[in-house]
Amino acid sequence: MFSFALKNIFFYKSRSITTFILTFVSTLFFIVYVAMMDGSHNSMLKNALKVYTGAIEIYKTGYRDIGGNEYFIENVDEIESKLSQIDGIKHFTSRYETYGILSTDRYSSAAMVTGINPLKEENMSQLKATLIEGEFLSETSKNCLYAGADLIKKIHLKVGDEVSFIGSASDNSFAADLFTLCGVFRTGSFEFDSSASFVSRSYFDELMYAQNKASYITIDVDDLEDVDSVRLSIKKQLSSELEVLTWKTLMKSMVEMMQVDSIFGYISMSLFFVVIFFVIMIFGFINVSSRVKEFGILRCIGLSRANVRALLLYEIFILSSLAIVLATPIGAAIAYYFSIHPIVIEGMSETYKEYGIVSDSVPLDFNIFTISWNVALIYSLNFLSVIYPISYINAFKPIEATRHV
Amino acid sequence: MIKIENVNKYFYKGEDRELHALKNINLSIEKGEYSIEKGEYSLLTGPSGCGKTTLLNVIGALDSFDSGKIYFEDRELGALSEDEKTTIRLNEIGFVFQAYNLVPVLNVEENIGFIMRLRGFPDSEIRERVKEVAAILEIDTKLRSLPSTLSGGQQQRVAVARAVAAKPKIILADEPTANLDSKNSKALMDMMRSLNVTENISIVFASHDKDVLESVDRVIKLNDGEIIES
Ligand SMILES: Nc1ncnc2c1ncn2[C@@H]1O[C@H](COP(=O)(O)OP(=O)(O)OP(=O)(O)O)[C@@H](O)[C@H]1O
Ligand SMILES: [Mg+2]
Repeated sequence: MFSFALKNIFFYKSRSITTFILTFVSTLFFIVYVAMMDGSHNSMLKNALKVYTGAIEIYKTGYRDIGGNEYFIENVDEIESKLSQIDGIKHFTSRYETYGILSTDRYSSAAMVTGINPLKEENMSQLKATLIEGEFLSETSKNCLYAGADLIKKIHLKVGDEVSFIGSASDNSFAADLFTLCGVFRTGSFEFDSSASFVSRSYFDELMYAQNKASYITIDVDDLEDVDSVRLSIKKQLSSELEVLTWKTLMKSMVEMMQVDSIFGYISMSLFFVVIFFVIMIFGFINVSSRVKEFGILRCIGLSRANVRALLLYEIFILSSLAIVLATPIGAAIAYYFSIHPIVIEGMSETYKEYGIVSDSVPLDFNIFTISWNVALIYSLNFLSVIYPISYINAFKPIEATRHV
Repeated sequence: MIKIENVNKYFYKGEDRELHALKNINLSIEKGEYSIEKGEYSLLTGPSGCGKTTLLNVIGALDSFDSGKIYFEDRELGALSEDEKTTIRLNEIGFVFQAYNLVPVLNVEENIGFIMRLRGFPDSEIRERVKEVAAILEIDTKLRSLPSTLSGGQQQRVAVARAVAAKPKIILADEPTANLDSKNSKALMDMMRSLNVTENISIVFASHDKDVLESVDRVIKLNDGEIIES
């Protein structure tokens, strides 16, 4: 039956070629499209994580919901020494986040002022990389303030100017000091750029009585795929009053946005597949209906309906295998190439800046597992497309089929 | 081997143009007619349109009928499923169709060997048997040709070769000599007779060819869907 199927494929060339080309093109297109979609999500995520949010963050339970001085982590050194023992963690740093009022002689604004460790922060986030004016903080930068571009615009502050800070220290006492604006950043996220500002921890800790305390510890992992297992091993090491959260919880809105985007992507994909499916089916059907007489003859001389089914399945199997076997490596190669040499889309960072996208380049996602299910889906569609032609042909009585023209 | 009792067949049943194609056909000793027996070598004859092809199709489990019973070696055809009838066609019957009905995709050699291949004969045996019948029917020079490149007579001989190659229990041959010159039709009839004698294969022809008429053991005459002599 297999060699007979091969003969049919060679005999009915135009149908074979159309099916082959359609399958080839859709496989190729599908692999590249999915790689692009996944890739853009991955890079969005990576960029967003790089800006400020960690892949994993540790909070004292209650901090995120209630906040206030009672919910600071109080044993930062101890936790950090534990973290340095855990596999899969690339970098970590603690941040002491507080809210206060920044005022110049005429303007003032509420702001988030965060004590950071400038050296560690360089590895953890894009804070330094998004500098647009002045300079980033250093260990010894004392009362230097590093603030978002939109925040300083609100209070008409320029690099070198002084600004007063009023807030409350960790012991609930009154804390006030005079900062000097040393550097300005712009991440592209308005919300962040209009409220965030940073001071070196070594200085800020003294002002806020915050030694060994932190609002949270943020962690970067070696491989984002392993984030859940790393989270578990961290959680095991820590007391139960601390909560360990991954970016999936921390950045709900971005994750949701990506899901919506994926859903739209899959909807447009499925429209494409519906079209491909019907085109393949119609060509298969036209072919089969031109062969009604031939199938009638075969059935008359002893081919069973099961044989007919096998024959048509073999035909589609051979054709789609050939197309898929050729298209998959090409699609995979394209995905692989562009995963290393990302595609640059002008203006992407502009469109998605609220999600913290800071780069226009989209590396494709090269993932064997994804490619496998892509291929499996195309295969299934091809097989589904012969179901109707098979039932059509098998509904004929053999002798009537031989009289069919 | 084959018993037919009170078989009726209509075309366009229930429509204005209803056609009673087979009228109360009996080939059964119980009905006072001889049945078709093992080793039979007979001819269905009668004017064009009298129902020869229709009767052969019904006997060969190819076409349905509206009433009566046909027994194919004790199996009642009307009670069999489509798959059971397919198995009978494949393993026990050889058809020569009036319209040849060759498989267009396959060349002559593959067409002749097709049934043997479906029945699982070994390759070497198929090749030899194909050569043998092709030589007798003088189509051995055309083994690699596609049916569409052959003349009517050549296609007819391929159709005969395909039916006889697998040595079925019975061959139903519809006008097998219609497009042949007398030399070829004589060679064909000689081969049929020798298959009949040496392999004990039953053969029923449908034809109005004099050569066939003269060589058979029994003649069943049909007229307007009725057996008028058997
Ligand atoms: N598929 C069909 N549909 C409708 N009528 C049919 C069909 N096949 C045969 N008939 C009719 O049944 C009658 C018998 O036809 P059949 O083909 O059996 O004749 P025949 O004896 O084989 O004729 P010929 O010698 O020309 O081959 C004819 O009147 C024919 O028109
Ligand atoms: Mg006829």
